[in-house]
Order: sequence, then C-alpha cells, then structure tokens
Amino acid sequence: MGSPSVLHVDLDAFFVAMEVLRRPELAGKPVVVGFTGPRGVVSTASYEARAFGVHSALPMARARRLCPQATCLPVDFPYYAEASERFHAILRDYTPACERAGTDEAYLDVAGCERLFGDGEAIARAIRARVRAEIGIAASAGVAANKLVAKVASDAAKPDGLCVVPAGGEAAFLAPLPVRDLPMVGPRLEARLAELGLRAIGEVAAWPAAALRARFGRMGEELRERALGRFDAPVLTERAAARSVSRETTFGEDEPGRSRLRAVLRAQAEQVARDLARDGRAARTVVLKLRFPPFQTLTRSHTPARQVALADDIFAAGADLFERLWREEGRRPVRLIGVGVANLMPRARQLRLGETLEADRLAETVGSLRDRFGDGAVRRAAEMTAEGR
Amino acid sequence: MKVQVLQENLQRGLGIVGRAVAARSTLPITANVLIMTDEGRLKLSATDLDISISTWIGAKIDEEGATTIPARLMTDFVAQLPPATVTIESDEEMRRSAKLTCARTESTVNTLSATDFPRLATIGDGPGISINPTDLRRAIDRVEFAAATDDSRPVITGVSVKGAEHMLTFAASDGFRLAVADIALDEKQSVAEFDLIVPARALREVGRLIGDSGAPVELRVNEEKTRVEFTLTDVELSAQLIQGSFPNYTQLIPTEWNTATEVPVGDFMRGARIAAIFARDGSGIVRLQVTPEDAAREDGQLLISARADEVGDNEGTIDVRVKGEAAKIAFNSRYLADVLGALDPEGSVRMETTSPSSQGVFRPVDESGKDDYVHVVMPMFVQW
Repeated sequence: MGSPSVLHVDLDAFFVAMEVLRRPELAGKPVVVGFTGPRGVVSTASYEARAFGVHSALPMARARRLCPQATCLPVDFPYYAEASERFHAILRDYTPACERAGTDEAYLDVAGCERLFGDGEAIARAIRARVRAEIGIAASAGVAANKLVAKVASDAAKPDGLCVVPAGGEAAFLAPLPVRDLPMVGPRLEARLAELGLRAIGEVAAWPAAALRARFGRMGEELRERALGRFDAPVLTERAAARSVSRETTFGEDEPGRSRLRAVLRAQAEQVARDLARDGRAARTVVLKLRFPPFQTLTRSHTPARQVALADDIFAAGADLFERLWREEGRRPVRLIGVGVANLMPRARQLRLGETLEADRLAETVGSLRDRFGDGAVRRAAEMTAEGR
Repeated sequence: MKVQVLQENLQRGLGIVGRAVAARSTLPITANVLIMTDEGRLKLSATDLDISISTWIGAKIDEEGATTIPARLMTDFVAQLPPATVTIESDEEMRRSAKLTCARTESTVNTLSATDFPRLATIGDGPGISINPTDLRRAIDRVEFAAATDDSRPVITGVSVKGAEHMLTFAASDGFRLAVADIALDEKQSVAEFDLIVPARALREVGRLIGDSGAPVELRVNEEKTRVEFTLTDVELSAQLIQGSFPNYTQLIPTEWNTATEVPVGDFMRGARIAAIFARDGSGIVRLQVTPEDAAREDGQLLISARADEVGDNEGTIDVRVKGEAAKIAFNSRYLADVLGALDPEGSVRMETTSPSSQGVFRPVDESGKDDYVHVVMPMFVQW
C-alpha cells in the first residue's frame, strides 16, 4: 500500500533562504529578515539565528540584542514573490487540488495521481527536488492522511526534510510531541494544559473526552480529536477558472542560442494557443518571462489592440518581447523561457476588411489533430529545432 | 503695432485659432499665436506645422505691425477681461514684449518675433471648389471617425477625398471598417478629377469651424498637391496633405446580401448602448440576431445581446423589417455605436449581411432614394 495522499509543503526560512541565494556568503550564518525601523519585527530568522532565540514576530531591536552578530536585512517582497509564484506553479504541476496556505506553504491532495507521479511520498520527494533545482532553496514536506497531521509532520521534518506518517499511525506519531506543536494550541492554551500536567499531545489524547469537554467546552472536544490525529477539512482546490495560461521551460544548462530559444518559444506559443482554443477563450495580454542564473526573473508584457488567440499571434508578440528584453540583458544565456497570456476573455476576433477565416480554420484543424493523435502529429517547421531534429 | 479690438471678438478669434496651437513642439514659437494687422483688420494665426488656422477680426489699427504672443497665456487672460476694448501695443524692434490694456487692467507679456513664425503657405485666390457647408459637415461627421488613430500606416490616418465632375467622395478606413460619403456639388460646378488624402484631424476641425454657418466653404489645393486649404467666412484652415496612395476600397463594399434588415436608428442606438455596458469586459462583443417575419409575427425581430463573464448579460428586441433569410452577426460595440451615431436618429438604417464572418453594410434609408453614405463594418468572429 502506498503512502497517504495529503501533503503539506513548506519552504524553509523562505525569506532568509532567498537572501542567501543572492548573497551566498551569508550561508550558515545568523541572518534575520524583517521590517527595519523603530517598531519593526522579525519576519524570518535563519536556523543559525533561531539558536540564539530569535524568532518571527520578535521586535527587531530585541533580535539585535539577542544575536548582535546577525545580518539584518529588510524584507524585499517583489523578489520573494517571483519565487513564491514559481513554488506554487511547481505544486500545481502535480495536482489541481492545491490549497495555498501562504506565500511559502501549501496543502496538496494527490489522491488519484499515483499512476502519473507515484504515491504521496514520491510526489513529496519530486517536489522537494524540483524546488531545490528550480528555485535553489529547501522545502520540507509532511505526508499524512489529513492536513493537520501533514502540517505537524512537515514542521517535524524541518529543516530540509521529509516526514511520512503512515495511515493509521497519526495518533502514535503525534503522541510524543509537545502540545505546542498542535495547530490551535497557543501559549495560553499550552499554559492551561500544563496546569493539568498535560505536556505531550499523547497525554491530551489519553484524557477522557468528558473531562476535556468539562474543562474547555466544545474546544475540548476539538482538541482531543486533533490530538488523536483526526481532522476532516478537505484540501481546497483553487478556483477552476484560469486567469492566465502559460508554458515555461527550464533548461538543464543555461541556453545561449537564439534559434533554440525562439524555437522553444514557438512550441510554447502553440501549446498556449491550444489550451485557449480548448476553452474557447482568447486573451488581451501576452506575457514573456526570462530567467537568468541564479534566480533573476524578468517579465515583459504586451497588450495589442486586438485580442490574441492564435499561436502565430502569441508567438509574434512573445518573440518581439523576447528580442527586446534579451537585447537589454546583453543576450546572456537563459535559464528559463516562458510565454503566456493573461486577461482571458471569451474568444472573439475582430476581423479585418478583406480578411478570411483561413488562419482560424487551419488552427482549429491542427488543434484537433493534435488532440487526437498527440503533439507530434502535426508540427511547424519552425518548431523542429526545439526537438533537435 | 498698436491696435484696439473688442474683447469678445478677440476671445472668439483666439478660440478659433487655438485649435491649431501646438500642444508639444520642439519649435517653441508654435505655442504662440501670430497677431498682425492685415488690410484694416487684425489677423490671428496659429500652426502646429500640420494644420494652420487663421482668422480675421475687426479692429481699429493705430499702427501697423505684427508680433507673436504665447497662445495659452493670452487666451486665459483675454477670457477674464471685461467686455470692453482691448489695446495691444508692441514694439518689436525695441523690446520683446507686448502691452495688453483693457479697462483698468494692464499687462506686459513676453513675445517672440513675428518674422520667426513659420511661413504659412498661402495657396492664393485661384479657383476653388465651393461646397455647401451642411453637406460638407455631414460628410465629415459620417466619415472622419473611421480613420485609423495609430500611426503604423500613415495613409489611413487620413481621409481620402476624391473629386470627379459634380461629385466629391470622402472615405476613411482603419482596416476594420470603412465609411464612404458622397457630396453632390452644385450643378454649375464641374471639377477636374483629383485624389487627395487629408489628415482626419484637419477635417474634424473644418467640421467644427463650420458649425451652424450657412456660408459655402471653398476648397483649394496647391499646385504641388502638398497642401489643402479650406476657406470659410473670415477663417482659413490649411493642412499638409498625406502623401501616398489610399487603398482601393470599392471592392470592399459588397453588392450582394442574404439579409437586409431595416431598423429605426434611435431604437437601434439605444439597444446597442445598453448592450455595450455588458460588453465592457474588454471583448466588446454585441451580438445581433435577425429573425424575418413569419405567419405568427407581423414584424421581423432584431435581437441585440451582450454578456460578460462574471458580470451578467442583456437582451433587447426591436421590431424590424427583414428581407431575406434569418441572420446572426457580432460587432464590436464601439464600431456599432460609431456608425449609428453618424446617422440621423429620427431615420432608419438598412443593415445588409451575408454571413457571420463577412462585412456588415449600413446605409441610411432615404425616402427620396438618395444613396450618399455607406458604412462597412467587419464583424467579430465569435463562438455562437
């Protein structure tokens, strides 16, 4: 039997990890990212800083006193946002049942994806490897029967670890952990439980339900259920209606060749156009994305007068953005290239005087051939180099 | 120079030439208005190098001369003056300023020399084409808006003006729609064939200058065919012609149709405006469905509908007269509103269609059978 299907994936000390990524000399040192200024608080502390008692929500000034040698950095949201978006995109590659719990964490339910990607544990391993390879930072993951236990498991796995709780083993897994580790137990509840001599989750689970109810009311029942590892809230799937469609390709080795990049772009445009066609939608905006090592991501967008739906139009706009952006960046090797469309709307194309519908009919025919016989069935000559043929 | 003019005349004159003052220019003097004495009157001129407008106002000339004054400053200043005599005094040789006096207000403004003002090529008094102002204004209003607004193809930012015998034909197209209006000239006039491209903006200004005036407008072109000039009462507008050849548009006007729908313009306009609200999500799609009359219904029906994701939808019906078969076609809401707005709201329009993906043709219905306007709009290709 495979592992359970609910995953909690959490980026380790996310903001700090992103700062270390662009300033490798900080690796292994105490680093604190937070809001500077007199009332600023800590957002994230590196594990090295945590050893000094620095934790998030601590006033910056106290953090400096506790750990004077720490490098304190201001929060740079736009920089983290790119990586966060990439992180969530990786997760969505495995299942649409993907619930965003924050910039740096999410729950997934991978039930039904086993034949494609393997069981929960295999998927958790794959995700951790991809986050490491594509973003360059560490993610910890917990795999369990429900969101609650998966969350506790990923916390237990940190840093850079994986923890799988086999089905039926939830209560046993939680039992030795301090009550504080259970989501919903804050400092005050922890103190009240301590008055009863309850310090480990297992001790709470062992208490009679009636006694807990008498003491804490309905919260007591909930607490006992959780202590036993029972939790029934499902993983909430994100909105079905897509707001954008895109394709991106990360190169194993940074790609310096213009013709290869353009051919990849061409193939991506074809795929984006096909996704749009399947939903009968078109877009107002074409977005191009380039990433240069280590993790510098640039995007440019163009909103033509007419909506775009056909691969030729998406490619034309994307290639134009690519040429301009790549030139600005001195034509350096590219780590990732991607093209997408945003501002989706019902498909409708304003025809030009004297225009016929041949281009649309061709696209429709090619699309249906590919849907039936696969991507290789019909192909543009310009896509060929992308496949190295 | 020393002149005396009535404040209201000066204000009106500045209002007329102000439309040609350059908004942004590398040539600072084009932000000024040229003021000069001219045969007992005061001539005001402005130019942005594409378009030039001059007007003449009555004045008491104490001393001949010319100067240029910042247009914006002068216009704002004169607008605030009481209705009294304004005296403008300048001494171009001695100092670079002019003195403006009115009632108990006196101001001095810096000027630039009139000799530096761009020479406005005058086309002269040669024979021009005399056009009925009402006809000209209507043709301009029906055509000018269809010209392209982006500069990627300069030729179609202009309006094609063709003349032959007793007829002038104005046409404009932005590549998605085409508007063609004819003006019948006075029987006594017969013009030699010509073919010009006039900037749409210049015609728009001519239309505005005509206003409700009843005096004929004279059209002249210089010999090199580089400039056009429209002469109205006490006003002259000249513009640089756009060089190039205007696309041949006659083949874009279909002569056959499968469905002809006659719709009261006012009802159509109201239905299209309501639909446009629901089409605002950026796609701007307004769907039209025509059902011919049948045994059950005396009138044909035009169904106008629009829908927007996450907003809602709308449907309206108009009783219409239909010839031919049922039809459906979708248009961009703005293009539909534009063509209906160009027609007499009390009249009717005939919409001729062939298929959902071919041209829609709009013609005003004229009881007398006059056929002086046609507007072609390409539809939107949509999923029905």
